[in-house]
Amino acid sequence: MLDFMDHVQQAFYEASHWNLDNSYGSLNATARALLDFQTPRGLRLQISSLAAPNFATSYTLGSVGVVDGSVSYLYSSLPLTRSFRSSDLHLNHVIRGYRHLLDLRRPDEKWWWEVWHGGRRIDRRDTLLYGRIYLPQSTLEALYLRRLSPTRQLKISAVSDSSMNHGGTILALLQNDYGKYSTEYMYSTDSALMGIRGLYNFGVDPRVKPSKPSNSPDITEQNNGRFSAGAELYYGLLNKSGGISTGLRFTTLPNHTGFPYTMTLTMNPLMGNLSSTYAVKAGQNLALCSRFDFNFYSYESELQLGCELWRRRNSSADVEWTRKKLRPDWERANVTSDDDVSGVLKAHVDQNCRIGLLWEGRIKELLFSLGTSLDLKKREQIFRAVGIELQYSS
Amino acid sequence: MAFNFNWSPLIADTSRARDMLTAALNKSPKPPIIVDDIIVNELNLGSTPPELEILEIGDLAEDRFRGIFKMSYTGDAFLTLKTKVQANPLNTYLSAKPDFASPQPLAAASGLTIPLQITLSDIKLSGFVILVFSKQKGLTLVFRNDPLESLKVSSTFDSIPFVRDYLQKEIEGQLRVLFMEDLPAIIHRLSLRLWSPEFQELELEKEEEERLDSSRYTTVPVDPLTTPPQDAVDAFGNPLDESQISDLSLDPTEVHASFSQKNILRLAALSGSNHTLSLFTPGIRDAVFRAWTGPSERLEAGINTPPLTLSSLSRIQSSFGSIKSHASSVASDGTGNETVSSRPSLSSYNSVTAGLNLGANRGRPTRRRKKRVVNLRKDRTEAESSELPTPAPSASVSEATESVLPEEEDLDTPPKSPTRGTRFELDIRESAPVSNEILPSVEIPTSTPILSGPPKSKSRKETSRPSVEKSYTSRPPLAHTRLQATSPLLRSLSFDRISSLSASSSKGPLSPNSCSESTSGGILEQAWMQKMAMEIARKVQHEKDRVARGESPRKAAATGGMWESDEVGEAPPAYVA
Repeated sequence: MLDFMDHVQQAFYEASHWNLDNSYGSLNATARALLDFQTPRGLRLQISSLAAPNFATSYTLGSVGVVDGSVSYLYSSLPLTRSFRSSDLHLNHVIRGYRHLLDLRRPDEKWWWEVWHGGRRIDRRDTLLYGRIYLPQSTLEALYLRRLSPTRQLKISAVSDSSMNHGGTILALLQNDYGKYSTEYMYSTDSALMGIRGLYNFGVDPRVKPSKPSNSPDITEQNNGRFSAGAELYYGLLNKSGGISTGLRFTTLPNHTGFPYTMTLTMNPLMGNLSSTYAVKAGQNLALCSRFDFNFYSYESELQLGCELWRRRNSSADVEWTRKKLRPDWERANVTSDDDVSGVLKAHVDQNCRIGLLWEGRIKELLFSLGTSLDLKKREQIFRAVGIELQYSS
Repeated sequence: MAFNFNWSPLIADTSRARDMLTAALNKSPKPPIIVDDIIVNELNLGSTPPELEILEIGDLAEDRFRGIFKMSYTGDAFLTLKTKVQANPLNTYLSAKPDFASPQPLAAASGLTIPLQITLSDIKLSGFVILVFSKQKGLTLVFRNDPLESLKVSSTFDSIPFVRDYLQKEIEGQLRVLFMEDLPAIIHRLSLRLWSPEFQELELEKEEEERLDSSRYTTVPVDPLTTPPQDAVDAFGNPLDESQISDLSLDPTEVHASFSQKNILRLAALSGSNHTLSLFTPGIRDAVFRAWTGPSERLEAGINTPPLTLSSLSRIQSSFGSIKSHASSVASDGTGNETVSSRPSLSSYNSVTAGLNLGANRGRPTRRRKKRVVNLRKDRTEAESSELPTPAPSASVSEATESVLPEEEDLDTPPKSPTRGTRFELDIRESAPVSNEILPSVEIPTSTPILSGPPKSKSRKETSRPSVEKSYTSRPPLAHTRLQATSPLLRSLSFDRISSLSASSSKGPLSPNSCSESTSGGILEQAWMQKMAMEIARKVQHEKDRVARGESPRKAAATGGMWESDEVGEAPPAYVA
């Protein structure tokens, strides 16, 4: 389950029309959501609030042996209208699962953003500021996010921690998203790591308006799925080491008629690592995912399986009879599928019989996520970790 | 003076050292590049010993040594390690960084683990070594500076210069830590295993047996202080079996001995003569009778009396913990005799039992702590020379002192507050010229603090249990202790008198060779009479206290008189134990 502040940041991306999925870094976001989810450890409570549309605060208190906590504040120049109250927020906003990729959106025109008043341009760039301090470690996280232009975003994140090498690290990330392709440039002060990422989407270019406005059959056919390819390259100036990887993804789009699925293949040619994932949304409530890793230098392989099961609330019996009385031609006040989600069960297992279980949902006004990780090979200590996380926000 | 460093046994068996090295290497948090346990595959100390140059010797004794050496080593030792390393530098780099400011690469950081074998050879060391050895605390070896001059690291990746250099640098760093921090700990633990019984007891049962056996049969001159008794019997004369003997673990710091039945009988007679105020003293060879006073042996006397079957008169100071709990459990179970528990700790008692806890090693300058051990076995090397034609047991009464300071026995400590009790201690020495030492002993075991609460008085009670009549039958005859405690007032009154008495009595006949049996008997008698007088005074005071608290004196009297009243309701220590 997403942290409250992550949720707010997602809302900021959405409000500023930034497509998070169109990045090489989120190429296998579906597989990561289904296979690499973290199970909570110990007890963690979070109380947060979007006090104003531009300002959010959050406090967490955790206990894993020792009591720790964090205090965080967030400021967004863009008013956030999404509901963040834990009693009525959409669960699929805070629970990461199978990601339905949408049709690429054409980037805003620059002049759309211009606001003129009295002959002067008064529009400001959307900015998000975020800070969190962890106690008692006194680790400080800070984030500065700025939409420089409709196709560009700057993200500077910093961590200050006395236990780190130089007392902290700063990462600057410049992202460009042109719809058809996206590029990212990054620089980390830690060992002067530089990186570049790119993702290219095959198929139609959203920036080019279709020549024929009529919905010709070719276009609809083309939009059934999307094929993307990307690569990343890193090089640390100080430690003179680098990394490279390339990846491919094919995913179905909403107007695909069958069940949605996503396939990715990533390869690290330097380290000989090959990883393929296949995720399928087998039904409205079920998604399955598998990943196979293989290293052709060391011949090590790994298999992981995961699934998520969405549990939806049955429409209450009290009002069921009224629904039946409705005339069929009347428009029903259809509750969207997001609204009646009561919980999600996630599970993953790998070939070493390590199992992770996570149940996330809502009880009354509280969001909870209850998880455990098991290791069946260690008979004496099967439960590796158990934890529960409670969130309340208003 | 010459030191003989024996290098060859060190290189013989390195399996244990290998295990400990493995444990030490895996204990500390490993650098993220190492993704598996480091296993010491092979350890060879080589045939060339290190060169040691003595710079300074701070302390030197039979069982202690402290010195500073200059060490240089250019030998042929080598060490082979096996582990798995992460070959992707990005992976290791990112794993140590917080997620928040991490670039979070998609697949560029995917791992590649490679088995790695590293051989460390051509180790060149030079440095100053501080070596502290004591038999009790083991061997401590500390490097004063960073001793590692150079070494050669050869690994699976020698063909790749970058990796080779990296490994060389990393391993040198790790080894420096190892030499400065881990190696002293390893050596200390190894030495403790060799010399310290606590660690030995932690060893596997089998190893223990083997070690005991070997030490039993290989020691040619039988030293009863360091080997298990060969004709050990328990208090009732039943021979101890092997397992029981092995329970009398060898303990250089807490030396034990057991008794042969013959000597037990003699000691019984000695004790009996004490109880009856008889002047007869059985002839015990090489024995010195010494008067001991002081509170410290109370506990031990209490301990000793109940479990007489095993280590009948041996003393395990390290077992104080169990004694403590034992005593406190007695206290909680007890009938709550307030007079006893509320008494200050200055009570004393007449302990002949504890008299058997003899300072066999007292005369040695190296041993500060008192070992209450009777060594009745003759030391073969010294037997002839030390045989005395007539045993001249003698006793002396010395002023008892008490101190609650938890310090080691120090013979020179001036008495802090005298107690009114005297205790007789039998000091039997192997080679003893008969000497009557007057020891104003402040013999305080390290567990002294426990003496200052209710449990203490309880345990004192306990020591009082083996009273005269019982000690003849079921206990070794030495167990006569009589609790005596007085009210502060009475104590202050009687204190002067008794201390002066004891001082006067201890001054006269105590030149070592002038003691005769009669004088010693006189002193005994005198002390005994003092004791009795004080006991009576205490009882009177006790009764007064009871009356003052509103208790009926008749109640105590009805249960069997005031003498019994103290003991009513308490289980004999044997049951409590």
